[in-house]
Amino acid sequence: MASRGNQQQQGEAVDLTTLTAQQLSAVKKQLDGEVEHLSSSYAQLAAAQAKFKECLRVVKSGSSTFDKDKSILVPLTNSLYVKGQLADPDRVLVDVGTGFYVEKDTKSASEFYEAKIKELAGNIQGLEGIVQAKTNNLRVVEEVLRQKVLAQGSAGGAAGQAS
Amino acid sequence: MSNIQAKLQALSDEFTKLQQELQDAVQSRQRLEAQKQENLGVQKEFDKLKEGETIFKLIGPVLLKQDRTDAESTVSGRLEFIEKEISRLETHIKEMQGKMEKKKAEIIQVQTSAQAAGPQAVKA
Repeated sequence: MASRGNQQQQGEAVDLTTLTAQQLSAVKKQLDGEVEHLSSSYAQLAAAQAKFKECLRVVKSGSSTFDKDKSILVPLTNSLYVKGQLADPDRVLVDVGTGFYVEKDTKSASEFYEAKIKELAGNIQGLEGIVQAKTNNLRVVEEVLRQKVLAQGSAGGAAGQAS
Repeated sequence: MSNIQAKLQALSDEFTKLQQELQDAVQSRQRLEAQKQENLGVQKEFDKLKEGETIFKLIGPVLLKQDRTDAESTVSGRLEFIEKEISRLETHIKEMQGKMEKKKAEIIQVQTSAQAAGPQAVKA
């Protein structure tokens, strides 16, 4: 993804001023789409990270809040509950993806979530760089496009006067 | 003149159809990549599995206990399948891109010939 972005950057650096206004607006449209797509991916990643953070928080506070003698209410439907007690508050089932769950103790579960959060943080950082580069590209393209349109407008006016 | 226009119209219709197909192919490629990543994540998790940690598989609304070897072979089987699908789609996408290039060349050819014929037609 990053390498493709770089390639495009180089291509644009050569071409930008020689492109017609029409081509520039096509480039701008494409970049707009890319920025939008990347930003939505960014938001999705951030949401996923927040979810994992919440899981980590619950798991970490888990063993103390779900004390053995504290009772809990288990929802059977959304308006019907039964009283229950956690038999083993130190063991949790973790969703590792694609329908597989692993039974872990809370320590290993928090390790799992910490690793996930770290991984996502790396992804988010990488994506942030790409989004920034794309936005910069977009700004440059917009600037050149604006100049083109202005130049064209004055040239068209001059031509109109001449004829 | 209208003959050329009709031809151009037909060509550009074909081109947009190819474009749509290519987009679909790219989308399924992306979906497969996402699935691959998810399965790789699961595989990594299985590799890190500690003593006394058991694997469950969600089948419908129930969690069933599963053997580690079973689960590992399921995931690696899936990965193999996904890998095959990806390479199949890759060749498909390449083919499609080639076809699109050809169409584009055709369109440009028709366009330039139309442009060359255009001034003459006006003069006539």
